Amino acid sequence: MTSIRKNKLFMAVLYVLVFLMLAEWLTPVIVLTETGHKALFLFFIAAGLLMAFLRAPWWFSGPIKILYILWFIVYVYTGNLFFTGEAISFLRTDFSVNFTALMSQNWAQTTDVFRTVLFFTLLWMAIYLIHYWVSFRLSIFLFYLLTVIFIAVLDTFSPYSGDAAIVRIMVIGLLLAGLLHLARWMEGHRILERTEKLAAFAVPLVLVVAVSTALALYLPKAGPIWPDPVPFITSFSGQGGAGMGGNVGRIGYGVDDSRLGGSFIGDDTVAFHAEVSEGQYWKVESKDVYTTKGWELTENVDESIFYGNDETVDTGFDPAEEELDLAILSMEQDFPFVLYPYGTASFFMEESPDYQYSPADQRFETYQNGQEFEPEVYEIAFNEPSYSLTALRETSDEDLAELSGDFDRFLQLPNELPERVRNLAAEITAGAETVYDKTRAVERYFSISGFEYSQSDIPVPEADQDYVDQFLFETKRGYCDNFSSSMVVMLRSLDIPARWVKGFNEGELIGTTGEIDTYQVTNNNAHSWVEAYMPGVGWMLFEPTIGFTGAASIDFDLELDAEDPVQPEPEELPLEDNPQTAEEEETAVAAGPSFGERVADFISENRWKLIWGLLGVSVAASVLFKIRRKWMPKLLVSYYRKSGGGSGQFEKAYLRLLKQLDLYGIHRRPGQTLKSYAAYIDSFFGTREMTELTEAYERAVYGGNAESVDWLKLRESWENLINRTSG
Amino acid sequence: MNAKERLEQVIDNIEKVIIGKRNIAELSIVAMLSHGHVLLEDVPGVGKTMLVRALAKSVGADFKRIQFTPDLLPSDVIGVSIYNPKDMEFHFRPGPIMGNIILADEINRTSPKTQSSLLEAMEEASVTIDGVTMQIPKPFFVMATQNPIEYEGTYPLPEAQLDRFLLKIKMGYPTPKEEMEVLNRAQSAAPIEELTSVISLNELLELQEQVKTIKVDETIRSYIVDLSRQTRQDSYVYLGVSPRGSIALMKASQAYALLKGRNYVTPDDVQYLAKFVFGHRIMLRSEARYDGITAEEITERILAKTRVPVQRLVGQ
Repeated sequence: MTSIRKNKLFMAVLYVLVFLMLAEWLTPVIVLTETGHKALFLFFIAAGLLMAFLRAPWWFSGPIKILYILWFIVYVYTGNLFFTGEAISFLRTDFSVNFTALMSQNWAQTTDVFRTVLFFTLLWMAIYLIHYWVSFRLSIFLFYLLTVIFIAVLDTFSPYSGDAAIVRIMVIGLLLAGLLHLARWMEGHRILERTEKLAAFAVPLVLVVAVSTALALYLPKAGPIWPDPVPFITSFSGQGGAGMGGNVGRIGYGVDDSRLGGSFIGDDTVAFHAEVSEGQYWKVESKDVYTTKGWELTENVDESIFYGNDETVDTGFDPAEEELDLAILSMEQDFPFVLYPYGTASFFMEESPDYQYSPADQRFETYQNGQEFEPEVYEIAFNEPSYSLTALRETSDEDLAELSGDFDRFLQLPNELPERVRNLAAEITAGAETVYDKTRAVERYFSISGFEYSQSDIPVPEADQDYVDQFLFETKRGYCDNFSSSMVVMLRSLDIPARWVKGFNEGELIGTTGEIDTYQVTNNNAHSWVEAYMPGVGWMLFEPTIGFTGAASIDFDLELDAEDPVQPEPEELPLEDNPQTAEEEETAVAAGPSFGERVADFISENRWKLIWGLLGVSVAASVLFKIRRKWMPKLLVSYYRKSGGGSGQFEKAYLRLLKQLDLYGIHRRPGQTLKSYAAYIDSFFGTREMTELTEAYERAVYGGNAESVDWLKLRESWENLINRTSG
Repeated sequence: MNAKERLEQVIDNIEKVIIGKRNIAELSIVAMLSHGHVLLEDVPGVGKTMLVRALAKSVGADFKRIQFTPDLLPSDVIGVSIYNPKDMEFHFRPGPIMGNIILADEINRTSPKTQSSLLEAMEEASVTIDGVTMQIPKPFFVMATQNPIEYEGTYPLPEAQLDRFLLKIKMGYPTPKEEMEVLNRAQSAAPIEELTSVISLNELLELQEQVKTIKVDETIRSYIVDLSRQTRQDSYVYLGVSPRGSIALMKASQAYALLKGRNYVTPDDVQYLAKFVFGHRIMLRSEARYDGITAEEITERILAKTRVPVQRLVGQ
């Protein structure tokens, strides 16, 4: 039979498109696995497709491909351009090594060459498969869909950015699918056209694809409706809790906090492990400008200061004692900065980078040779600062008034700040005399006034709403950002300098060796808290969030007045939650571990859930499949009721009925004609309807007279029969 | 009156004299409508001649009968030119072949030379004597009978010549009840004389044209091809059905569809006719004969296992 498949030009166009599509598969794999020689792989694909296109017989194309693979191995692994004696002996030894490894099931001992061969085999299979789809099935949809899913998954879970790839794939795929549909349509209707006519058919297709692509590219796009799927999926696995939102999987830092609010879902991805004698709050940076919606940073405050390894740093928090503690942090995520506890004296890292301290946000960025550097393991010498209670008792409003202009940025408040916030702050602190007492009063206020800790159903303030005001007076529930921001704003309204700090809390204790505890800190432990300036004493850490115990240590012994009735118990937590479970969330820090680790973590943590889930789903699916005879008719009836009355619908419906009858147990023998089968069906059910339907069907299919069939009239008979099969 | 009704009339007419052989009458008409010929293989005395005569009478056709004997010559069949001394020219004296409906009785009794003269005339629908070609009047329909080949004193027809017959039919003995009825009728006057024609020859020619318009869908054609190919692959078969056999099956199916009042062929038509079209076209190996397998059984087997097309062909 002559067919469109014989049209060489048409098929050549298809194969070129297929090549482009396969190249889209190859690119991310090459990028993510850091494989070299992309051009040589592409050449393999191109050659394979060319031979498939030319219908080269297997005994020709097979050896050529094998030769190419061998040549590739020789070229890449030994550097020889030709099969020299050395190259051949390399191949031989490598083969024997791998063969022995495979025979003894020592998978780990197989060499890279073997993996290369496997990869080539995979490519070969892909070429064959797609060749089959295009040449024989004239159908690409499945492959197209898989490609889109593949790129989407990689884009979501890996550093590979599929922004451009997905556009290319859409264009290539639409063209391919369109041309193949044209081919199927022409074969179905037995139309034979010359190439010029085919090209004319293809013009509208190309136009439509071009116009829709251009429109899609240039129209404004809505933001994502769903949160990032990674924490979303984790939350379904029941690992809930709070966590980092957003920006997972993107290398780099710089998430802005200019718009706080909204609910969060947990993310158990490990950020780092800390080996330290006692859990610490790990500071990253602070922010100073409150915008009524969130936090921003004043630019260009002071020159950055560079420190080297083991050099004493000045963070504004001095170690309490001369003798320093040691903390070892092993990073699991890539951050271009160090996290540091309060009272840090110095850092040490094997790689010996520069530590660039920015006084604006107190962040230590790490650089090596002028490049951003992402530390892996580092030591921090520190000792928690201690504060004199006596000195704190002497902090007064007068001292505040004498502070230098440097503190102005920590007193900034937006003009729009509702008056009732200021009034509330004044009310809370009405009985307090010292600055320290006022600050403690504000810190304590949330836990004694019916505020609630929650990560879900937290609103984002409207355009005319203030973030802090909304929390203090309307919702009264929220997570760390709400509490810490509110405290900073209230302190500032009392002229106490304060700033908003981001970092991680102590995390979960997972092991103890002697005096050293190991803490695991995950994205769930991202946190925000408050630093306030006590005149004459310095900056101090405050923790307003309900359920959290971060505290500056107060040296009560120092010049303590014995009859002082005030016991400045730092924490009063009537609504105490377990800090481990009430994990806090913070959108501060973002950077993901690699795709593989993420998946592996997820799988290892949820292995049983996954297994049971899969098992359950497959059991349910197979049960549904087994009893499809029971439920299919109902679906079919309503489907065909809706789908109108074309004769094409009738033929589909009839074939469906045949399938249903087969499921019911009345099998048609291969050599049995529809008519005799129908007669049997009718005698079985005591009906006449099958014969009636069959006559119409024969008239449509064998008689080529589909128009004469009145499907709407026959539908009742059809429904009657198909309903019988579900009995 | 449509084609189906007219043809039903012919069959009813034949049934007045032939009892219980409606299917044979149908098949004869199918062959006649598709310009084919029929080979009846049966013992003498089961009503073969009566069938053909009734058919001829019903369509108002010219009926001739040739009794084949071992000493029959080709000229006895097709005619001979005789010298007329009066005008000193040869005049063609047509033989019995120059008729509409011919009964060639016991065709395998005569020599291959005479057999082939008949078969050539059947194929060409014309005869050539002394360089002059004479058209045989239309319609032209031959019903040949042969005794089962195992009989003594026969010259079996070669495969190539058997292929010229569209259908091979076995008449078979009547059932006891039918035979009683035959006896009843035989007592009264021979009813064959009272038959009148129900359609004219021109109408028959029209119907023959109509057969060609019957639609044979691609699916049906591929089914026919499948069936033919299967016969060539069967292990018992020495020589399968030729492409001419496939054509024969298609044409016969068209005629049968017309007879059933349809303007398209269904797989049922093909299946029904395959037995009659393929039976004499399949040459069996000797193993088949040892195993007692006949060509008809092979055909049945192939029909049972070949997938009936139930969907439009798309793509392939």
